[in-house]
Amino acid sequence: MSATGIDSHAAEGRPGQHTWMHALVRVGFITVSLAFLAAVLLAPLATVFIMALSKGIAAYLHSFSDPDTAAAIRLTLLTAAVVVPLNTVFGLAAAWAIAKFEFRGKSMLITLIDLPLAISPVISGMVFVLLFGLHGWFGLWLQAHDISIIFALPGIMLATMFVTFPYVARELIPLMEQLGNDEEEAAITLGAGGWMTFFRVTLPKVRWGLVYGMVLCNARAMGEFGAVSVVSGHIRGLTNTMPLHVEILYNEYNFVGAFAVASLLTLLAIFTLVVKTLVERTGYRRR
Amino acid sequence: MSITLDQVTKHYGGAPVVNDVSLSIGDGEFFVLLGPSGSGKSTLLRAIAGLAGIDHGRIELHGRDVTHVAARKRGVGLVFQNYALFRHMTVAENIEFALRVRRMRARARRERRQELLRLVALEGMDERLPAQLSGGQQQRVAVARALAHKPEVLLLDEPFGALDAKIREELRRTIRQVQRELGITTVLVTHDQEEAFAMADRIGIMNLGRLLEVNAPHELYARPATRFVATFLGAANLILARRTPDGIQVGATTVAPEERASGERENEVVAVVRPEDVELAADRESLGCGFLANAVADEIVFTGALERLRLRLEAGAQASLLSSSDGETHSALQVTRTQHERRALEVRPGQAVAVGVRRVHLLPTPLSSFTACAMDEADTERLSQQGLLLMLAQRMKTRVGMRVEPQLGQPEAPCQGGDTFVGTTVIAAGAQAAARAEWLLRRGAHDLLVMPADAAPPQRVLIHWIGEAARGATLAIAASLLRHVPAEAVYVGIVAGDAQAPSPQGMRELLDARSEAKAAHGLEMRTELHFGAAEAGLARRLADNPGQMLILGLCDLAGFPSRLGALLDGRWPVLIVHRGTP
Repeated sequence: MSATGIDSHAAEGRPGQHTWMHALVRVGFITVSLAFLAAVLLAPLATVFIMALSKGIAAYLHSFSDPDTAAAIRLTLLTAAVVVPLNTVFGLAAAWAIAKFEFRGKSMLITLIDLPLAISPVISGMVFVLLFGLHGWFGLWLQAHDISIIFALPGIMLATMFVTFPYVARELIPLMEQLGNDEEEAAITLGAGGWMTFFRVTLPKVRWGLVYGMVLCNARAMGEFGAVSVVSGHIRGLTNTMPLHVEILYNEYNFVGAFAVASLLTLLAIFTLVVKTLVERTGYRRR
Repeated sequence: MSITLDQVTKHYGGAPVVNDVSLSIGDGEFFVLLGPSGSGKSTLLRAIAGLAGIDHGRIELHGRDVTHVAARKRGVGLVFQNYALFRHMTVAENIEFALRVRRMRARARRERRQELLRLVALEGMDERLPAQLSGGQQQRVAVARALAHKPEVLLLDEPFGALDAKIREELRRTIRQVQRELGITTVLVTHDQEEAFAMADRIGIMNLGRLLEVNAPHELYARPATRFVATFLGAANLILARRTPDGIQVGATTVAPEERASGERENEVVAVVRPEDVELAADRESLGCGFLANAVADEIVFTGALERLRLRLEAGAQASLLSSSDGETHSALQVTRTQHERRALEVRPGQAVAVGVRRVHLLPTPLSSFTACAMDEADTERLSQQGLLLMLAQRMKTRVGMRVEPQLGQPEAPCQGGDTFVGTTVIAAGAQAAARAEWLLRRGAHDLLVMPADAAPPQRVLIHWIGEAARGATLAIAASLLRHVPAEAVYVGIVAGDAQAPSPQGMRELLDARSEAKAAHGLEMRTELHFGAAEAGLARRLADNPGQMLILGLCDLAGFPSRLGALLDGRWPVLIVHRGTP
């Protein structure tokens, strides 16, 4: 009898707690968060779509038929398609090295992986100009061999790769450290070799973390502005990515065009977030 | 032999975690490695599985040397404490993993899997994921997985650690049953002595990287050879006793020893009295066995079938209690009584009772207790607080007594404290040490530890004796000491003459020493050979590295201070073992 009495009290809250005060605090906090979210996030997002559709759906769709816009979309997708797989391989290798081995300079490597997150993207772009630009270290040699990196596709990819390479590694390192080595060791005692252990045990074990890292990497690769802006040269139809193209169209007072491309980027971002949420849920349930 | 280990040694950052372990495990045997955490037992198991490399020694599985064979080719089954199931695979895929690796046909795999699931009583669970199983079921799957490829050896690393008591018992029974059915050689690592008793054919006890004792469970419990094993396996009261010509004098009573060791001199020994071998009575006359002392009940705990008591021996009792297995209260005697005994004499806290002992087991250890000895009270006190000495005393669960000798080192002066020396006498190292050491040795001290004020725990213990008569005792003391410090043992053989013409005599001595150390005392030693004069050679060898200690056997004291002065000047600790005429 007494036990049930205590339980029912516990359900109402902690002893000494004023329930009306509790409710007030709760409502207050929720209101503040929602208001902030609406002002800072939802209003700009809505503006993007309102502006893009201000001249009607036909004008909105028409802006995508512009060849320069189509080229910018193609370039962005191509860059992401090259950068994300490369960074996935790099991230796996770095996370594996850091989580599984002890070596000199390990903490140095971890710090270096984080570096692109700390550096301003403009600086990241400048570095490549300083290296491969006409007046850069390798500039003359590149010119002599007729290789163009800066103001061309390779430069854009290099700059994007630089700013996005932490994402996969940072996602995998804590995961691999937390999951430990036991499953791999079990596989080895059962007779599996190195490749088999990696593909049959390690990779499936970290797959949700890996997908999550790739999604983040992809989002940043498609949305990167600063670093790419420095190395691209803004050549219409050739080296303009979507974020750069938005800027150009806006500066030309082509608001519908600018916001149409912006809305596409936003949709890509929302799509990425949905994928991320799904991955998190699935991963959580499976883990 | 299924598994043979020969002098297996593994270091982590300089300190040995597995120290010269040699062991043979027979076909179909269930062997349990038991020890506290950090004793090196898991590392040893991983070394057998091939997941950890070793620095020195040899590992054989079924007569095949696998020391340098990769883990995947050793053909062992390993079960981990936290199961380590492949979490993204179903139970069936987990069990079939080893078979897939070996490219077995699907049909054969399925048959083998069903056979294994039946063995561990998990039929019908094939398509579950590990996360959908309870801890006990997961570990059953892990056992089935480890057995799938029919390994010759099954290794279990604390497999029940994460399970609750009831499941643990059930799984224990399953594993024992499976092991008997398949007749597979099994090594189980655990820190739980009850588990070890319940499962083992033989138990090997590890501490500080050394394999201390190997024996059948009941033998280990009844006749432990070391203090560690006595107190680690069940509860034990360690009591300082005296070996006399009539028998073993424990407290006020003299009992005949179980095993009569002939030719032993009268000395101090360490006796083990199990809590269930203590009898309580209202007074001395109504005891059914030898009287130990009067005591007062301090604490009484009812635990169901048994009653546990802690008794405080009365001041002036002749028995000196060293320690009970919890190690904290030095003066508490642990007693357990059955309900039957409890009904015969009910004891309340604070009540005085007479204590008797039914059975006494003597430890063969030659190091019983320490006595710090100096010329005045303050020096003795300071010496008895020396760090290394305290560490040794604590590890050996013994005490450090004090003895003041105002005329220490003065020729012709008599001993103040009488001519009986018990245990190991400790003096401070320094310029006076050689003269004082000789003085004490000539007046009846047998074992003498010369301790520098700043001595740290040694990483290497050098062993040498001058004169064959001291060999047995030196080896016995070295073995006893080395059970309590994680150090490497090195026998330094010194051969007169030079390296070009080594005498066959010297080489033979070296080999004899090693085999005797192994056979009689279970001590694994490295051996080194030096040429020239003994004292100079030892001093040179000791000066080579810091963190060394010397155990020196002597049977002749002629010319002692001048010969050995340089060894006792305080750069390292020296334990002198003197056997022969004073």
